[in-house]
Amino acid sequence: MTLNPLTVRKLKRFRSIKRGYYSFVLLMLLIAVSLLGEMFVNNRPLIVSYEGRWHFPTYGANLPGKTFDLDYTYETDYRELRDKFQTEDRGNWMIMPLVPFNPNENSSYEGVFKPAPPSWMGGPEKHWLGTDTTGRDIFARLFYGFRIAIFFSLVFMALTYLIGITVGSLMGYYGGIFDLIAQRLIEVWSNIPFLYVVIILFSVIPSTFSLPARIGMLLVVMVLFSWTSMTYYMRTATYREKARDYTAAAVVLGAGPIRIIFNHILPNTISTIVTFMPFTVIAAISAITALDFLGFGLPPPTPSMGELLKQGTQTLTTAPWIVSSAFAALVLILLLVTFIGEAVREAFDPKKFTTYK
Amino acid sequence: MPHLKKSQRNYALFLSCGLLLLVACGKKEASDTSPQKDARDEAKSYYSVNSEFFHFRTPADIPTDLNWENGQHLPEFASPDAVKGGTLNSWIQDFPRTLRTVGPDSNGSFRRWILDNNTMSYASRHPNVTDLTKNGFEYYPGLAEEWALDRANKTVYVRLNPAARWSDGEPITTEDVLFNFFFHRSSYIKAPWYNNFYSTKFSGISRFDDHTFALHFPELRPDIYALALGGSPTPAHAYTELGDDFVDRYQWRFLPTTGPYIVRDSDIDKGRSISLTRNKDWWAQDNKLWRHRYNPDRIRLVVIRDVAKAFEAFRKGDLDYFSLGLAEYWYDKLPDDAPEVAQGYIHKLKFYNDVPRPTYGLWMNQSRPLIENHDIRVGLQHALNWDLVIRKFSRSDWTRMQTSADGYGEFTHPTLRSRTFSIDKALASFAKAGFRERGPDSILVNDQGDRLSVQITTGYAHFKDMLTILQEEAVKAGIDLRLEVLDGTTAWKKVQEKKHDIAFVAFGVGPEMFPRYWETYHSANAYDLAFLEDGSINPNRKVQTQSNNLQIIANAELDKMITAYDKSDNLEEMKQLAYSMEELLREDASFAPGFNIPFMRTGIWRWLGIPTSGNVKISTSFTEYGLYWIDDTAKTETEKARKSGKTFEPAITVFDQYKLE
Repeated sequence: MTLNPLTVRKLKRFRSIKRGYYSFVLLMLLIAVSLLGEMFVNNRPLIVSYEGRWHFPTYGANLPGKTFDLDYTYETDYRELRDKFQTEDRGNWMIMPLVPFNPNENSSYEGVFKPAPPSWMGGPEKHWLGTDTTGRDIFARLFYGFRIAIFFSLVFMALTYLIGITVGSLMGYYGGIFDLIAQRLIEVWSNIPFLYVVIILFSVIPSTFSLPARIGMLLVVMVLFSWTSMTYYMRTATYREKARDYTAAAVVLGAGPIRIIFNHILPNTISTIVTFMPFTVIAAISAITALDFLGFGLPPPTPSMGELLKQGTQTLTTAPWIVSSAFAALVLILLLVTFIGEAVREAFDPKKFTTYK
Repeated sequence: MPHLKKSQRNYALFLSCGLLLLVACGKKEASDTSPQKDARDEAKSYYSVNSEFFHFRTPADIPTDLNWENGQHLPEFASPDAVKGGTLNSWIQDFPRTLRTVGPDSNGSFRRWILDNNTMSYASRHPNVTDLTKNGFEYYPGLAEEWALDRANKTVYVRLNPAARWSDGEPITTEDVLFNFFFHRSSYIKAPWYNNFYSTKFSGISRFDDHTFALHFPELRPDIYALALGGSPTPAHAYTELGDDFVDRYQWRFLPTTGPYIVRDSDIDKGRSISLTRNKDWWAQDNKLWRHRYNPDRIRLVVIRDVAKAFEAFRKGDLDYFSLGLAEYWYDKLPDDAPEVAQGYIHKLKFYNDVPRPTYGLWMNQSRPLIENHDIRVGLQHALNWDLVIRKFSRSDWTRMQTSADGYGEFTHPTLRSRTFSIDKALASFAKAGFRERGPDSILVNDQGDRLSVQITTGYAHFKDMLTILQEEAVKAGIDLRLEVLDGTTAWKKVQEKKHDIAFVAFGVGPEMFPRYWETYHSANAYDLAFLEDGSINPNRKVQTQSNNLQIIANAELDKMITAYDKSDNLEEMKQLAYSMEELLREDASFAPGFNIPFMRTGIWRWLGIPTSGNVKISTSFTEYGLYWIDDTAKTETEKARKSGKTFEPAITVFDQYKLE
């Protein structure tokens, strides 16, 4: 694929903005690591060598306790098993991930389920950021919470842009009555208070739906109420481009409206859109965190930063590590994306690369 | 910025909506000036129309052989050390939506300050002497001077104390007692529950003179005094404007009360705070069993919407007491070594009470797939690790609930025990139902490939963490419990529609003599027509919604026992029936008993005085019986000490005289 030389210059310019570029690299790295999250943060070991046989429990079905000659049929408790291996000393071994906890498992601290301080503050071993109110590892919850939030917002962005760009371009291209009516409809639609719709919807959705289905529904609702703002930009940009000679040339050559919009006009308007993207991601992460904070977001027990923040505000004095970890993680992610956004905006600034002198 | 514009538009929209509402309200109030008839006249014609219920007799008609009781032999339970005066500072989470005590919105958490804990009834159940006598529980006099039970005619005679006065000084007479029936049976008050209660629970009332009346009942239950003496009159002279607009007209009026506290108009600061003022001329303040109670001159209730914030206000000393019921508060947020506690400024109290326990447990809907299978229900009972919950969530403070009616003293089954957590028993029981193999996620599947997965619905967000513990443990026994945590109202609605698989709810119960079974277990509350006339199961029966039979139990044998129980006037027979019913319910296994919370925990500032016994046996809240007082000297002393750094002896007191082993 050959890129437009202008785009290549913009990308080079983006690379030269160090803060944004390194943020981008770091974020991509985080996303890549989170994709393989089960290998890093999990209560299942990477490899178990038992009686000469190797098991890889990370992915796939649960291995019942019977596999390792334990007297139960539910999933093996690997931390217990490891202790058993060590006391028996029969050459069995296992490699646990860096953070050997699952985001949903409760571990008790001093005999009860309550927040345990981070291990470097004298808390139990390997809980690098401590545990939350029911004894779930905060690092594990933040890690998986990040994975869900970032992919949620990326899909959210893709969908809002798909709808927003299409509708906006059509409005700008056709203009006239169509534009007038569509704009009024969008104005009406965008005045429906989004938060109330989410609250109402989630109070009536039966939870017989599986977790992914419920997350999907939240996504759909958020997209339905967010695509409108993008249409304004696309509409004006398309109006402008439509008046240009190359569009007229394409029309004369007999290209259809879809071809003209997506093959001719869109590449010339995309640079404005690109600069919005990181900020849309930020808006989506903030929205999902806020919804979780209010209790109307991702269904429990999905790990989420908003839920941790909420817990944190209720345990400010007794477990300050909950709120500080969640807050720091959120700030870090939003900061990374903001840096990227600033760099993209600067790199794609039309004032620097305009073809009209 | 486009976002800004959007939000500005929204704001404008809200604003205009608000204005419209205001305009609408204004108009309505303006049209409310039509001259009112006197409701007392209407009541009089109502009595003559319903002469089969309202009887007017003469003192000569009172039987002479009645055995009058007056409860004067009962011991006092308030502390003679109590002093009057001072202000109690407390909080409420929401501002009350009305000052009415009946009608829409009146059943909020504020009501107990002006009704439940403030109204003086004809006589009250003694909160410490709880043994059963031949006439039921022991009662001490309130508005009544004496009372008598006429068993043969299912009638209770009551003689009002001639000294009894409303808080505005008007005497309390039988006119108010009759009016109470007219009022609660009228459609003006928009309270169908009261309409029904006052129409069905009583079969009539007789007035003999200004101070003597008798209540007639359709049946004589062992707890007849609760109905007869637990009532209180309605001030006829204050409801002269009663009419179709009652709900609006009386929305913010505080009416004369029989109790010690009144609300003055100037103390209503809508949305922020509301204060109660002690009626210094309260007629009963020196009566036996009423003296030394209701001591603070003022009770100031501030609206604090966030519990965590209210707790901080308490630690600062802005609130005088705070409930430390949750383990998190008792152990972590206000531990024994917290500075305020260690320095003796805040005292911690743990009081074991002995009352019927709210039924915290899992209510399984037998009309749902999977749960309809008895083996699955039994398996599920064994898959619930309540012991772990009690040990690790409540820190061993709670106790395991054994029956669906714990805390009723002699009425609670003495030997029945709930099922304990056992993976083997659970697996064996699930295997009987066809669930033998574990799927890839450890959850059992049957031959058709169905997963053993059911849903728990709850409206208690604060118990969410506890339920996740049950959920994780249940996986070990191969059953998947899906949690659905809804907001309180939505969850209750769902459960009332009987759309739940399993509900985690608790019915709050008053300090009643014996448990109720009809509401929760009779087939009439399970199906529209559970059985056909020949006793066989109706194949076309439909689940009955809006009732408290959450397990959809329809058992002809149980129905028979319930009917016999509800008709019985024999305590011993009722007890045996209650035991049999509990045994049957255990066998049915659709109610999984959870836990009991056998105590109240409260933090109080040291200037709050309490009796040496802590509280009374059947109390369910710190303020319920008005036994505390404000020691103003201690308050000044404490405030000075906090500035100077002086400390006092810490006090962490456990009152376990009513603790059950």
